[in-house]
Amino acid sequence: MVSRPIYFISTVIIMTFTYVFFLTFFNEGQPNKMPISVVDLDNSSLSRQFTRNLGTMQHSNIVRRLNSHKEAREEVQRGNIYAFVEIKRDFAKEAVSNRRPIITFYVNDGYLIAGSLISRDITYMSAATSIGMQQKILRAKGVEENRIMGILQPIVLDTHLIGNPWANYGTYLLNVILPGILQLMVLMMTVFPIGVEYKERTSREWLANSNNSFFAALTGKLIPYTIIFTLLGIIGNMLLFRYMHYPLNSTIGWMFLATFMLVIATQAVGVIFIGITPVLRDGVTFAGVFGMLGVTFAGSTFPIEQMPTGTRIFSDFFPIHHYFEIYVNQALNGVGIHYSYIYFIFLLSFSVLPLIVFNRLKKAAINQNFPIK
Amino acid sequence: MNIKKNIVSLKQSFPIFNDILNVIKSEFRTMFKDRGVVIMLVLAPLAYPVLYCSLYKNETLIDVPVAAVDCSRSQESRELLRHMDATQSIQIASTYSSLAEAKQAYNEKIVHGVVYIPADFSKKLNSGDQTTVSIYADISSFMYYRIINLACSNCVLDMSNKIQVERLNANGITGESATIISNPIPYEGITLYNEGTGFASFLMPAVLILIIFQTLFLGIGIIAGTSRGENRFHVLVSSSVHRGGTFRVIIGKSFCYFILYAAWSFFILMIIPRAFDLPHIGIPFDIMMLMVPFLLASVFFSMTVSVFLPHRETGMVIFMFMSLILLFLSGVSWPQSNINGFWRVFAWIFPSTCGTQGYIKINTLGADLHHISFEYISLWIQTILYFGTCCWAYSWQINKSRNKVNIPSEIQ
Repeated sequence: MVSRPIYFISTVIIMTFTYVFFLTFFNEGQPNKMPISVVDLDNSSLSRQFTRNLGTMQHSNIVRRLNSHKEAREEVQRGNIYAFVEIKRDFAKEAVSNRRPIITFYVNDGYLIAGSLISRDITYMSAATSIGMQQKILRAKGVEENRIMGILQPIVLDTHLIGNPWANYGTYLLNVILPGILQLMVLMMTVFPIGVEYKERTSREWLANSNNSFFAALTGKLIPYTIIFTLLGIIGNMLLFRYMHYPLNSTIGWMFLATFMLVIATQAVGVIFIGITPVLRDGVTFAGVFGMLGVTFAGSTFPIEQMPTGTRIFSDFFPIHHYFEIYVNQALNGVGIHYSYIYFIFLLSFSVLPLIVFNRLKKAAINQNFPIK
Repeated sequence: MNIKKNIVSLKQSFPIFNDILNVIKSEFRTMFKDRGVVIMLVLAPLAYPVLYCSLYKNETLIDVPVAAVDCSRSQESRELLRHMDATQSIQIASTYSSLAEAKQAYNEKIVHGVVYIPADFSKKLNSGDQTTVSIYADISSFMYYRIINLACSNCVLDMSNKIQVERLNANGITGESATIISNPIPYEGITLYNEGTGFASFLMPAVLILIIFQTLFLGIGIIAGTSRGENRFHVLVSSSVHRGGTFRVIIGKSFCYFILYAAWSFFILMIIPRAFDLPHIGIPFDIMMLMVPFLLASVFFSMTVSVFLPHRETGMVIFMFMSLILLFLSGVSWPQSNINGFWRVFAWIFPSTCGTQGYIKINTLGADLHHISFEYISLWIQTILYFGTCCWAYSWQINKSRNKVNIPSEIQ
């Protein structure tokens, strides 16, 4: 295992790089202060006040004043700004004389995350400006102070996000991406060490090393990776829940267990891939395709339920999907562990899969009758 | 006929063309003889876009099940819930009498959100006070939270506005002035691009470019790794190429990849977006102009790295995970403006970053070539840069192989 650099690179180096990358990449949690612009054709104290207020919002940063709609649109197309607000000429004059001037804002949803966060900021600020104006008018009309809010906002909507109250993007994403890369590397590092024995025609020696017990040979081969990847996975859990303090509403032990079982289940799938054809190159290809799809089928980016029919059953074949469900139950929602039993059982049941290809692999190891390409 | 004659005469007068043609021929032969290469360079670029586009076919969520806890049981609360149920995005799947019961349903993942209407809802509405409706939304996927929040706030706002007018009337403010007060400064949000705020329309363009880049990169890695792993002496360079012209080998090989991927780019970037209703408002000519330096830079980049891969599987094992890293580096989901300095420089190293940004700006935002001058010029700089590194890496390899077989270069 220590003979080739690839073993060290694909375990420790890649996982370390992944952790460092994502934790430094998403250190803000949410994309704050994204560049937007205001086309202020009015340039009154009211419009400047609006611009100033908008600039204090969490996600928005007003980077430049532009003079025309066309100029602003081109800045959006260049990717320099994600949105702009247009305040028309005589905005303040019309507002004071009750002629209902309109605030128009344009948001680029080509970058959906940036677009929806900024859109929320601008909507909030526009509504707030409106409410400020309403309060003034109602006071002038002599409406009692304690009645005003009831008139302006009869129903208030109070939104709670279950488990991730700050809508932290890192929380949402890393809890799927990090195990996603872990399972990809587990797949690769199951297929590669086994497949290389067949490719290099060393499978008989490998078998001889374990007194011709193929079971011992196989488990002996995989256990070091089980240990390494479980450790790396647990480090990942520690980084997310302890170092970054991402929401964890139950004991971290369940996540450790889930990680350990994810590693084992994924190894079992890896054995299947190298078992179907004990040809290293094909095994690696299968593993790669499956590993990448796993990130999609975990179900975090786009909910599985809303994918085309049939996909839901298909997703059950991905260990990472069950890991994700456990994560949602235990870490995010903090429900009783009995809700997650079924997913643990799913993960556990993966480990019988290698039986399907056990004999085939064993024969191939003895007969060496498979092409190396 | 004339052309053929011309080529023949060209071949005779310039041996370099002959060599390049030889490289091209042998490279195409290797490419299509090797199952792994065919999978990576032919099957994957054709199948992946179709697969991913089908998975993300539903742009937005439809009828997400939500539980209602209606403690008010009034005409008003029922009306509000009816409106929510009528939206396209959510449906009131079940009604419970307490939050605890709804929570149970949520924990069992029967519903993805809860709407809670307090007991004094109708009373406060009738007495002119302010009342609160609470929603609890699943955030295991941002899509759930976004859609539930959006649908509920729209319904609440609608009802709120209606009540507002009634209350203004009750305070003796009617007609025109009621309209003015209920909305003194109207605002209008216009979605500029990706008007349907679709998930696929947002993510798929980036994924398409990454499919091009990663399959090309891994495919070239397989080819280079194979010739190194299986042929110790001719390291990387097929035996039919003599006279050791690094330049000729590189031109020949890169030509093959470029031609193949020019065809795939047409399929992936022109046909797929139209077939799957992804945005495609860009000018095809501009996309083509962007693809030339993007493909060249990607080919030379991949060829440079491939020199260092000892076996055919190495590239796949080590670089597959980079697909995810590159997706984030491209600055589509996490906005580019918020990528910190170091990672932004790191991102620039990979042609996929400028390729993705350039493509999205043209294809989704309808930008012209001059709007994306940064990406365009960067890609040409990368083309030159990686052509240089590629020449260096190849000549280093070729010299090394000569030393290994220990034959002076003149003879070989």
